[in-house]
Order: sequence, then C-alpha cells, then structure tokens
Amino acid sequence: MDMTTDTPHLLLVDDERSIREPLAQYLTKQGFRVTQVGDAEAARARLSAYAIDLIVLDIMMPGEDGLSLCRHIRATSETPVILLTARSEETDRIIGLEMGADDYVVKPFSPRELAARIKVVLRRMQAGGTRQHAPESGSYAFSGWVLKTGERALVDRDGVSVPLSTGEYNLLLALVMRPRAVLTRDQLLDLTQGREAAAFDRAIDNQVSRLRKKIEPDARNPTLIKTVWGGGYTLASDVTKL
Amino acid sequence: MIPRFAPKSLTGQIALLVALALFVAQAINFALILRERRQGQFTQVTAPAITRVVDGAERLRDGRFRDPPEERDGRERWKGRLRLEANNPVPPGLPHRVDVEDGIRQAMREANLPVGRIVTGVRPISPTDPRFARMNPQRADRMKRLGAELQVAVEIPGRGWLVMTSGWPRGDGDLIWRLIAQTLILYAAVLIPVLWVGSRVGRPLRKLATAAREFHPSAPSEPIEERGPGDVRAVIAAYNLMSSRVTAMLDEKDQMLGAIGHDLRTPLAALRVRIESVEDDEDRARMADTIDEMNRTLDDILSLARLGRPSEPPTETDLSALIDAVVDDFRELGHAVDYEDGQRLIMRLRPALMRRAVRNLIENAVKYGGGGEVTLKPDGASVRIEVADRGPGIAPDQIAAVFDPFTRLDASRNRSTGGVGLGLTLARAIVREAGGDISLANREGGGLSATIVLPRR
Repeated sequence: MDMTTDTPHLLLVDDERSIREPLAQYLTKQGFRVTQVGDAEAARARLSAYAIDLIVLDIMMPGEDGLSLCRHIRATSETPVILLTARSEETDRIIGLEMGADDYVVKPFSPRELAARIKVVLRRMQAGGTRQHAPESGSYAFSGWVLKTGERALVDRDGVSVPLSTGEYNLLLALVMRPRAVLTRDQLLDLTQGREAAAFDRAIDNQVSRLRKKIEPDARNPTLIKTVWGGGYTLASDVTKL
Repeated sequence: MIPRFAPKSLTGQIALLVALALFVAQAINFALILRERRQGQFTQVTAPAITRVVDGAERLRDGRFRDPPEERDGRERWKGRLRLEANNPVPPGLPHRVDVEDGIRQAMREANLPVGRIVTGVRPISPTDPRFARMNPQRADRMKRLGAELQVAVEIPGRGWLVMTSGWPRGDGDLIWRLIAQTLILYAAVLIPVLWVGSRVGRPLRKLATAAREFHPSAPSEPIEERGPGDVRAVIAAYNLMSSRVTAMLDEKDQMLGAIGHDLRTPLAALRVRIESVEDDEDRARMADTIDEMNRTLDDILSLARLGRPSEPPTETDLSALIDAVVDDFRELGHAVDYEDGQRLIMRLRPALMRRAVRNLIENAVKYGGGGEVTLKPDGASVRIEVADRGPGIAPDQIAAVFDPFTRLDASRNRSTGGVGLGLTLARAIVREAGGDISLANREGGGLSATIVLPRR
C-alpha cells in the first residue's frame, strides 16, 4: 500500500482508446492521478515502475486478456482491481468474477458509478488494509441453501433454483457476506444500495419478509433471518464459501 | 396402401411378408400331399374293400360263399375275410365312410346284385389290442401303423349281413401335425435370419432417426456409429457430415454475433463515458437512458439470434418464484404489477431466458397498459402464465403481426417510450425453445392478455 501522495494513483488498462481516454479524463477530473495503458504488457511494465493504488482493468483485450492479467496481479501483489466486464448475452452471469477482483462494473457503465466504486475500494484498503474479494464471487452455502453469485441464483438442497428479484438478491447477499452479524436497517440500505441503486428504495422490512417466504421453512416463525429487537436483522446460520 | 394392423418397421414388414409367402407355399404343398394321399388311399384300401364285398356278394348269390374258418394254425384270420351274419354288427356312432358306401352300392348295382342297407364304420385300434398277439407280425405291424379298421356291413336281402373288416389309415390328423411341425421348422429357419438382417438394417436406421429428431445445435452430439449394410452406412455417413456442417455454420454465426456485439458495445460504452461531460443534467440523463435502451436492444438482438444455441443449461426452477422475482423488480421501479406468489411450481427450464420472456410480456403491459396482473395456473399437462393489462389492446387483424420482429402498432398502441418491438418476438422464441407457445387475446372490457403455455415434463 503506497499512499505517499494524497491523490491515489490509478492504472487504467483498456485497449479501446475511445473509452480509455475520456474515462482517464473524467477520473482525473474526479481527483485521481491516472496512468493509462492499452495492453497487458504495458500494464505489467507500469506496475513494476510505479506505486499503483488501484487498477481499472478491461477484460476483453487482444493479446493477453484482462482475466489473465488479473490473475497475475493477484498472484504477485495486493493492489486492488476493478474489472470492466460484459454481461454474457443470454444469462445474467457476470464474466470474470472468479478472478479475485475487488469489484466490477458492467459495460456500458456510468463513469460516476465507477468513480464511486473506486473510492469505496480505496477507503476499504486504507481502513482495513486487508483486501477483499469482489462481494460477488463464488458460491456460499448456508443451512441447505446455496447462493451462487456468478449466476445470481439461489439453489435449494434438491438442486431446484429459486429465482430472486434484484432487491431480494442484494439483501440476501449482504446478509450472507456477514453471517451472524446484526445489521440495522440503515446498514442494510447502505449495503444493498451500492449495486443497482435505483432498484432498491423500498423498505428493508418488505424485502426481508419476501425473502423469508422463499427460504424459511416457516415464514411466520423465521429461524434463518432473525429479527433482532431494537437492532435489525441477522442471518442465523453459518456460511461456507464453496 | 399398407393396412393399419400391419407392422410399421422394416423388419416387421419383411418378416410378415416372408411368413405369408411361406404360409401360402405350405398350404399349396399341403393340398397336393392331401390329394395324393386320398388317391393312394382309394386305390390301396377303398377299391379292394369294394371289390371284395362285391365278390363276396356274387359268391353268395352263386352259392359259393363259405364263412371263413374261425381259426387256423392258432391265428385269427379276420382281416379282409367276409362273414355272413344275421344282424348288423357295426356299432352305431362310428364315423361313416360315405365314399365306401357309395362305391359298394354302385358296384353292386353294376353287377346286378340286390342290396339293402350298407353300413360302414371306422374304429381306431389301440396298439395294445389283444388281437395283435394272435396276428402274423408283419400284418400286426401294418395294422398298428394304419391305426384304425374299417367295418363294412352290407345287407343282402333275404340272406343277412355280409360283413367285412379291413385295415384303415387313421385319418389325416397325423399328416396335419406333421405339416404344421414342418411349417414351424421352416418358419424358424427362414425367419430368424430375416429378423437378424432386418435388425441389422433397422437398428442403425432407427438410431439415425432418433439422432436426426433430437438434433439440437445447442448440444452437438457425437457422430453416429456407421453400422449395418453399405447402403445404411452411406446414409449415416451423409447425416454425420451434414450435422457437423450445420454445427460448424452455427458456430460461425455465434462467433460473428459475438464480434458484432462487442463491436457495438464498445462505441456505446465510449459514448456513455463521454456524456459525463455534458453539463445539463437533464440532457445527460436522457442520453444515458437512450444508451441504456440501445444496449438492451442489442442484448435482445443477440439473444434472439443466439437462441438456437442457448449456453444456459435447463435447471429445475421454481417458476412461481421466478415470476415473483420479475414482478418484484417492476414494483421496485414503481410499476403497478400484481402477482400472488403461491405454491412452488418446479419446472425444468432455462431460468435467465424464461425471466426475460416473462419480463418482456410484463414490460409491454406496463408500457401500454400502465401496469398489469400476472397469474400462474398449472393445469394438468401444462402451465399457463397470463399477463393481462387494461391498455388499448390490439386490433384482431394485427394480433399475428405483433410477433414479427420490429413490428410496431402505431395505430392502436401508442409507443413513445422505449423498445424496438423485439420484445414479443424474443419472448415467443424463448417460450417456443422451451416447447411452449405464447398467445395474445383482447380482454373483455378492454386490454390485452398475453398467455405463455409451457408443457410440464
């Protein structure tokens, strides 16, 4: 972690000039120092030459692609990575989540959202020092259920997939990432509004009751998502990352 | 025209044909043998019996008739001997031989001999008959082989009954059995190879038919093993070549579409970055909306074009939860969409694609009807998902047209917002890929109802 200056130094890797240049311009305006490169090789050179605070990495590049570079970065350093990804055409699957990136945005993305994500990841790095996987990578098992984040699917113990709405998914993900922790409604709102912001402004309680209907054996007597008096909600189950 | 009850398979038809031909041949054979046998029987048994009776009657008329001695050298000489008895000794109930009776009557008449009643009877002799013991062995043997004796009693008016017993071949029963056995052996000998050849041809053909029927470009199958006779092998080889060519073409199409998608997405993404420099907030928001919409349309086009080879595998999915999730997303955006999430309804389908189909229908209801009601009804072999709105509906003559890509019904449905008219086309393609269909109907009291029917498997 090199934070010698107040301006965080970003490395922007994208082969597409038409995206890279205006994006660099925008991010510079947002108060970052931006180094831009057009391919993986140049990125490797800059990584060893500079103290980079965060890498914004396009997945689809000719030559060595972003996934391979991301794997290399993860193997050699702790520098956080945000991926510029595409949604695959006919599934909701996000390409490239398993590569150990810290976060991602789906193309075409809003530069504002990207800037916000960059700030969140940097803040997290500054505060905790430990880097964290993208919130959505891999599968999480809890009391008979498996939440597959790549496919955004919830699967029961018989292998039946139970589709979740965006709101339900975000809420469940927030709970699953912090099992047994008590999360207040405000915290849950914060945690769930990050991703598809517009899609989540209904009361948390409503989403909780919808989720309970889907995953609790008896929705009137919840044993999984418990209400904590005066506090909020907690996932009363251990979570195993698969 | 093949009758309905005939077997449909190649093997079955060949086997049936061979069996029929064999049967006809055997029947002709049988008739010939039977006729020959009848003739032989006449010359060997019937004719001598008639001759002896007429001869005996003649001798009787001429007074030369003598009863045979009861016994000579310890053996009964009963066969073929004529006796004169007072009463008819033939027990009633035995089968008559009309041919013998008629023959005797005719011969008597020709010889100008008076004749009264004529009675015949055929009686089986068991091989353990005590009389055989007293017979000369050769004759006993012959009698046993014949298996029956013919008794003839001819009434000579005023003199009594002239009685004769003679060996008689015991009917055609054994012959029939022998022929049946022969036929069965023949059937076995011919039909087994026929069935074998038939299955050698038929099995690879059936396999080919199954493979062709189930050919799906999304799951290219292994080439079919070339088996069977040369003609069949050639057909299978041709099929394999064709299916690999189709798969290769579709692969090429996929790659091309992927390239198009990438090439169009990149300028879109670039545009999206650039509009951040637009100062006017409202302008910028509108531009962002337009870019989002273009992106969605691009998604739809790519999905539609790639639907032949969906990469998402079918999964056991709770359909009710799926609809509920889609509806919830609409509610999040503030649209009035009703759905009562009921019982779990587990179906095997591609969840992301089906979500898309349902979403497209609800999107139309929201766009044109300001909201909608969604219902899920399982009924027996199928499941119906109905999306109903209270919008303007569609003119009946245009209902079929709305499924065509890029159709817009400017006349009745005012579309000022979003969409290129690909939504229904894509929804129908998705549902059809899953083995179902979509139908549209105007509702009573106004509005449109779109119904997805999916088969339950």
